[in-house]
Amino acid sequence: MKICKKYKNEWPAFVGGELSPGRTEEMAAHLQTCAACRAELDEIQKLMAMTESFKAELLEVMDTVDWEALPADITDKACERKVRPAPAAVPLLGRLWKWQPAVAGLFLGLLLGGALTFLVFKPQKPGGLIARPEAGLSFPADMVDRVELALARRETIDYLKRSQYLLLDLMQNGQPGESSLIRQERIKQLLTEKKYLNNQLDDWRLMKARAICDQIELLFLELSQLSPELSARELEMVREMVEEKQLLLKINLVKKELQQDEV
Amino acid sequence: MEQNERTVEFQVEHLVDRIKNGDREAFMKIVAAYQQKIFVLAYSLVRNREDALDLVQEVFLRLYEKVQSYRPGESFQAWLMQIARNLSIDFLRRSKIRKKDSLDGLDLDRADLAADREDPDRFQTGELIRRAVLALPEKQRLVFILHHFDELKYEEIAERLGIAQGTVKSLHFKAIQKLRKALSPSLGGAR
Repeated sequence: MKICKKYKNEWPAFVGGELSPGRTEEMAAHLQTCAACRAELDEIQKLMAMTESFKAELLEVMDTVDWEALPADITDKACERKVRPAPAAVPLLGRLWKWQPAVAGLFLGLLLGGALTFLVFKPQKPGGLIARPEAGLSFPADMVDRVELALARRETIDYLKRSQYLLLDLMQNGQPGESSLIRQERIKQLLTEKKYLNNQLDDWRLMKARAICDQIELLFLELSQLSPELSARELEMVREMVEEKQLLLKINLVKKELQQDEV
Repeated sequence: MEQNERTVEFQVEHLVDRIKNGDREAFMKIVAAYQQKIFVLAYSLVRNREDALDLVQEVFLRLYEKVQSYRPGESFQAWLMQIARNLSIDFLRRSKIRKKDSLDGLDLDRADLAADREDPDRFQTGELIRRAVLALPEKQRLVFILHHFDELKYEEIAERLGIAQGTVKSLHFKAIQKLRKALSPSLGGAR
């Protein structure tokens, strides 16, 4: 049968009574003369009839619910959930104490690394040479800039990778247990690293990376405030947040971009 | 009409303010006002009374927790529907994983249940519709459910979802086209 496109997009609205009286009359008149549109309308009406059967079932089910009692039930549960005390959090210092050697080592490493980087690539006048007469070394300033940027990229990629593993771990496993304590420590390490990474991320060429790293940091900060044993609900909220902000996808994209720039 | 809507919005915002201050009665009023709307959406997606009621409860518990993040001036209905939509989708995702359910064919346990129903034909028709509706893209699915099961006009759907009326019309048309294609054997059409 020939297809009539004149009112094709409007038949559902016609059936639902959503059109103006003028338009409805116009289309009703058109139906008298157009077999293609009559067939179109017929099929939509059959679909509506199927829908009606589901709607009838829905109404029957709704009749079996005690709608007057439900608000009080839900309100009781909401209030109960609100007053339930949160799981006692282990003091932050107490938790850190256990990992003190590791944190101290990491801190010392970062400090020494930073100091060495500063000594080797000490900033000089733009366009000039970095001269180290005692070592007999000299670097053009733009090269230093490139090296610094490359280092910052690598560290950012590394930070993103480890954050990604942690998020994946949360998305896939996330069950409470011994691993939750380790996870909490990993979160703390990543938070510490982010503080040191911030200076390097100030570079305008790493603006995108900075934005995603900041989002990750916010999430980790929230997680660090919670007890290591996340409840199912907390876990669900974290998952929602990761999905809603598309964190994993963004991490992948930024990582790729940084790796390409590195080449 | 417009005046009425403004009054209702004002009342809802007032109730939400009271909930923010821990007013139990205000929360109950909000639940009473929106419980059936949420149920229609939930049941249309999960087609199980108990699961739909659990979802209704979960939506309001979430509302109670997150009420501080509701900003006055936003459409409260659109905000609440967003919560309901997210929770329903999560529920479906979880149950899909649990049952290794597939939208391609009929769910076996539901099909078995059909034999025990008073009217197996109607059950199967309902199941076909549910599956076809579930397979729609999210916005088309919502518009279809609100228009056909909740009997809302385009204008009301636009208000509830916070989108333009023209968009609702277009989404509804696309939903109908997709459903016709998916259900063409049952409709007896050649599509």
